[in-house]
Amino acid sequence: MLTMAEAVREAMSIAFDERPEVFLLGEDVGIYGGAFGVSGDMYHRYGSERVLDTPIAELGIVGAAVGAALSGMRPIVEIQFSDFTAQAMDQIANQAAKIHFMLGGALHVPMVLRTPQGSGTGAAAQHSQNLEPWFASVPGLKVVVPSNPADAKGLLLAAIDDPNPVIFLEHKLLYKIPGRDPVPEGSERIPLGVAKVVREGKDLTIVATGIMVNKSYEVCEKLAAEGISVTLIDPRTISPLDMQPVYESVEKTGRLMVVQEGPAHAGFINEVIAQMAGSSSFGSLIAPIKRLAGMNIPIPYAPQLEKAAVPQIEDIEAAAREIVKNWR
Amino acid sequence: MPKMSMTMETGELLLFHVKVGDQVKSGDVLFEVMTDKIDMEVEAPADGVIETLVGNPGDVIEIGKPVLIMLTETEVMAFDFGGDAAAQVETAAPTPPPVAPAPVVVAPVAPTPPPVAPVVVAPVVQAVAPVVQAVAPVVTPAPIVAAPVVTPPKIVNTSVKAVPKARVEAANRGIDLRTVHPTGPDRTITFSDVNSAQVDPAVLKRQAANKALIAKGIEMTRGIAQASFNRRAHANFDHAQLISAWAKVLRGRPDIAVHQHVGVSLIIESKYGSALPVFRDPDLISVEELRTLVSSTSDAAKNGKVPIAMLSGGTTTIFDLTTYSMSSATPLLFPNQVTSLTIGYDSESTKNISLTIDLNICDFYDGALLLDALIASL
Repeated sequence: MLTMAEAVREAMSIAFDERPEVFLLGEDVGIYGGAFGVSGDMYHRYGSERVLDTPIAELGIVGAAVGAALSGMRPIVEIQFSDFTAQAMDQIANQAAKIHFMLGGALHVPMVLRTPQGSGTGAAAQHSQNLEPWFASVPGLKVVVPSNPADAKGLLLAAIDDPNPVIFLEHKLLYKIPGRDPVPEGSERIPLGVAKVVREGKDLTIVATGIMVNKSYEVCEKLAAEGISVTLIDPRTISPLDMQPVYESVEKTGRLMVVQEGPAHAGFINEVIAQMAGSSSFGSLIAPIKRLAGMNIPIPYAPQLEKAAVPQIEDIEAAAREIVKNWR
Repeated sequence: MPKMSMTMETGELLLFHVKVGDQVKSGDVLFEVMTDKIDMEVEAPADGVIETLVGNPGDVIEIGKPVLIMLTETEVMAFDFGGDAAAQVETAAPTPPPVAPAPVVVAPVAPTPPPVAPVVVAPVVQAVAPVVQAVAPVVTPAPIVAAPVVTPPKIVNTSVKAVPKARVEAANRGIDLRTVHPTGPDRTITFSDVNSAQVDPAVLKRQAANKALIAKGIEMTRGIAQASFNRRAHANFDHAQLISAWAKVLRGRPDIAVHQHVGVSLIIESKYGSALPVFRDPDLISVEELRTLVSSTSDAAKNGKVPIAMLSGGTTTIFDLTTYSMSSATPLLFPNQVTSLTIGYDSESTKNISLTIDLNICDFYDGALLLDALIASL
């Protein structure tokens, strides 16, 4: 069973083999094999022409990738921590996302920016954020948040194919974990913008992103043993967002809980709530919508506090029980 | 002769199942008809008495032409729906006029009946009025009855918080959420609260009545939430009787007559244009006094001299169209007036009374009750 780091490496390798214009660039992606070991031996397999070690200069890295993409290449950028994308934000938000539109569609930017995010590694406030709402609120960017190795492989292959800039956000804690489902061996793509119904139930609908899909899954299994059945939906792509399975499920369950690791305030998951509230499925709700998200604080360094700052399995379980018990 | 198929133009009357004087119930077979396609039994559309057999067996009768004439008891609109309320209008026992008081009054055990002479409710049947007396059994004497106030459902929850599906369910089942006991957090009505809610039968009855009355094709006027009802009444009343009876009916429904007093405006035409003198609380004086007042006011209006005191305070308006030989019209309600009556010509012996109501204040069922009560008391 492949881990997510291995699945991402496999997807990049398949793309390297399929298309000569695909290449990887970033800090320590070459000889060192990537800050989290994702690129691994690719430097040795594909050489320094296609796996480029860059200086510590995020704006320059992304700028080089945008320029390469405009000239017909398909760059994959790795930024060591998603927190560092702040350095490169002009290239991401103002150049990569906009050029296609500024030039009347004459050019496009087929670039993928991969970057690890999330807390749980004791890396404190500047290396632990979940910044998906930054990217999700910039039209022109696609944003992918994979929750398992199999999805990561298929989604990354689709992202590399995509003519638009795609931000690919990988949770650090998932890198070393094999998925529940084996990673398919071939080069099958998973289309961007299609949510996955992870499991189906009749009492509650949980929409979770990234690592929260895994935590919620454990809760679903535990509750199922007690007769509470839960539908778990993983949007996988948050821009564009596929709400249809959410509507269909809520029409059956009447209860919706959303879970993300990032801070609650202005978080991405609020978009799911907003779209539900404005939809014709609203009338199916028999309970107020429950939101579980990180606290509105920078991620603390102390391990206990770091844990307390974001939803844990026990929090998801308690909230799920409460919503099902209180609202009938 | 009912139209029984798309191509049917006439029907041959085969035989009658009833004879003159028979009491029939809705659904009883009245006669059989043969068409080019089928033989059909035609059923009574309502309860009533067979008054005349118009056709003879063997006759070929055009569709829409009468085969027999049947007298129905009344045309009370709310009767089918109202249960207690309408039954009171329909069948209340005649109240004897007060007799001379006994010399010694022991503690009275019942409220004194209103000092009003019973008025016979004439069954209203177009063009067969003379026969009415002959079918005495269906003539029910009834006292003037003000439309009863329907008890509103019991409110248990003044600030209504409910989950969306509870609201959808309540709307579908016609449940007033204010009557549902909330068991959810923060006194919120849950879906199961609505599911297990007991619906007040009176409320259900009212909803059924409203639905049926709407389906009856009651006219809605565009742009303003009002509706109009038509019923036929006998023609033996003058303006004073009408004004008095209408004021009395409205006084019985303070929830609809939202003002402190009842002020009946009567439109009077003159060479100076229309005048709308208001008769304040006209039911509190005798009909004779009112008749004198209506007559003098009418004369004054025709000379362009309505007394200033009578120019304001209208809470309802009566338009009499019979002087124009008009049968009906739908008036626009004056702002702040909930009701308006239109009197139209119907036949020598009958008039058309049309009631227009403000649907923001009352509903179809209220309107039907008001009109029934007015006609019962004329």
